Amino acid sequence: MKKKRDIVIAGYAETKIDYKTGRSAYDLAGEVLEQMLVRTKLDKSAIDGLSVTLPLSEGSNPFFAAYVCEALGLTPSWLNLGALGGCSATSGVARAMAAIRDGMCETVLVLSADAPSSDWRSNYGAYRPEFQDPPGVQGPPATFGLLMSRYIHQYGLKPEALGKIAITQREHALLNDNAYPKFRKPLTMEEYLSSRIIADPLRLLDSVMFCDGANAVLVTTEKKAERLGLDKVVYPTAYAEITNYKGDDPLADITESGFAKIGPRVFEQAGLKPSDIRMFHPYDDFTIAVVMQLEDLGFCEKGKGCDFVLQTDLSYKGTLPLNTGGGQISAGQPGLASGGLNLVEAVRQMFGEAGARQVSDPRNALVTGIGVIPYGRNWSTSCAMILEA
Amino acid sequence: MAGNDKPSRPVPRIGSYVDSRPFWEGIAQGKLVLQYCTESKRFQHYPRPVSIYTGRRTLEWREVSGNGTIYACTVVRIPGPGLDGRLPLPVATVELDEGVRIIANILDCKPEDLKVGRRVKLAWDQLSAEQRYPAFVLA
Repeated sequence: MKKKRDIVIAGYAETKIDYKTGRSAYDLAGEVLEQMLVRTKLDKSAIDGLSVTLPLSEGSNPFFAAYVCEALGLTPSWLNLGALGGCSATSGVARAMAAIRDGMCETVLVLSADAPSSDWRSNYGAYRPEFQDPPGVQGPPATFGLLMSRYIHQYGLKPEALGKIAITQREHALLNDNAYPKFRKPLTMEEYLSSRIIADPLRLLDSVMFCDGANAVLVTTEKKAERLGLDKVVYPTAYAEITNYKGDDPLADITESGFAKIGPRVFEQAGLKPSDIRMFHPYDDFTIAVVMQLEDLGFCEKGKGCDFVLQTDLSYKGTLPLNTGGGQISAGQPGLASGGLNLVEAVRQMFGEAGARQVSDPRNALVTGIGVIPYGRNWSTSCAMILEA
Repeated sequence: MAGNDKPSRPVPRIGSYVDSRPFWEGIAQGKLVLQYCTESKRFQHYPRPVSIYTGRRTLEWREVSGNGTIYACTVVRIPGPGLDGRLPLPVATVELDEGVRIIANILDCKPEDLKVGRRVKLAWDQLSAEQRYPAFVLA
């Protein structure tokens, strides 16, 4: 696919992240819509497309997307329900771009809101009650414990590297007013290494905690943004995704993620290589996922991710700033709105509005999503987007 | 309670996803019976509505040996539904000699003995007094 620069992200909005707010995804969506309208000075009638993320707190409601339209008083000519878990926000931008290019709409709000710490209404069902729940593999920690054990068997693992990811992101969360307040205290390597094991060898501090929150970006054409007077824009110049990577090989190497497949595609589309990337905003449900993405996306060789982490300055002042808002691990994971957390932070940085944690020369960013934990395999959906100034 | 000191665990509704009766009938006979694609000559697990190799319903059920190797493993240490009285719980992805993987508990195994590469053989766990479920022990 040829590189295009016809469509932009021209705005972002984000609520604070908090635990057990007692609020709904709709209420959080309303807050984020108002913030977007205030920031962009747009009238709500300018929004003619809407992409929403199916939240854990509304998982049992097949009509969620239309209910959001009613709740927010929006009348889109294009409506998308993103159900790719943590890939829903970034894939929502990609789908919005395709819909805009196809003339179905012009200005799309890509909105993610979730409140799983207040109300959990999801049931994955399918094969799980018969084949996955009985042995006690009920949540992501057990699956990531399995994944890490295999990674250690094949490549070895340096706990200090995972600790550095947790500590670096924690330092970033200290500078993020939207981060979950309880996580806004410094973390030491000693604290990381003595953190409780929840599913061997996974530690509590390798993991995210469900919170509530919402975020959104505004996607439109470059021309429309100019007409609307939106002078801060970033260009999504490359996107790729894959689901159920090697899904017909039950003996696939589970330490290899779908990013091994889509990494080359997304870099080729943008005409960039990993060393050209200024900032990395990967989906970070667990620290090992960051290491595996660095490897599979080609920042380093497979199996060398821990060395790369230990040798690279990942702070906002460094050579490859990592999740400068704290990521989900240290800002809190707003349920399935989590995929928008990293995306919004990348846009905020590129708008030069990141305040005390501003990255110098934020000329581009690589943003990723991870969606859905399958049966004993690597994660199900991987997506990656490159944003350029 | 199931008549002993272990609480009874949820017994799933059989066949709500695909027709899994042969798997459960196998259990009743002390056999591990999995789906097999007659075209590609490969097993698959968990059961699917089609062969993941051909996309068609080229499927039958066949008994496997129950011998395999631990491909990946973890010890679950956090509570969850059905986990009362079971923690710390050794779990493994077992690669069976027939070339298919299955997630299962490793019974009577100390966490420090649970290791990738260890050989295992089929064993039986009790979901309730009446219903057992496939598991493994170190060989």
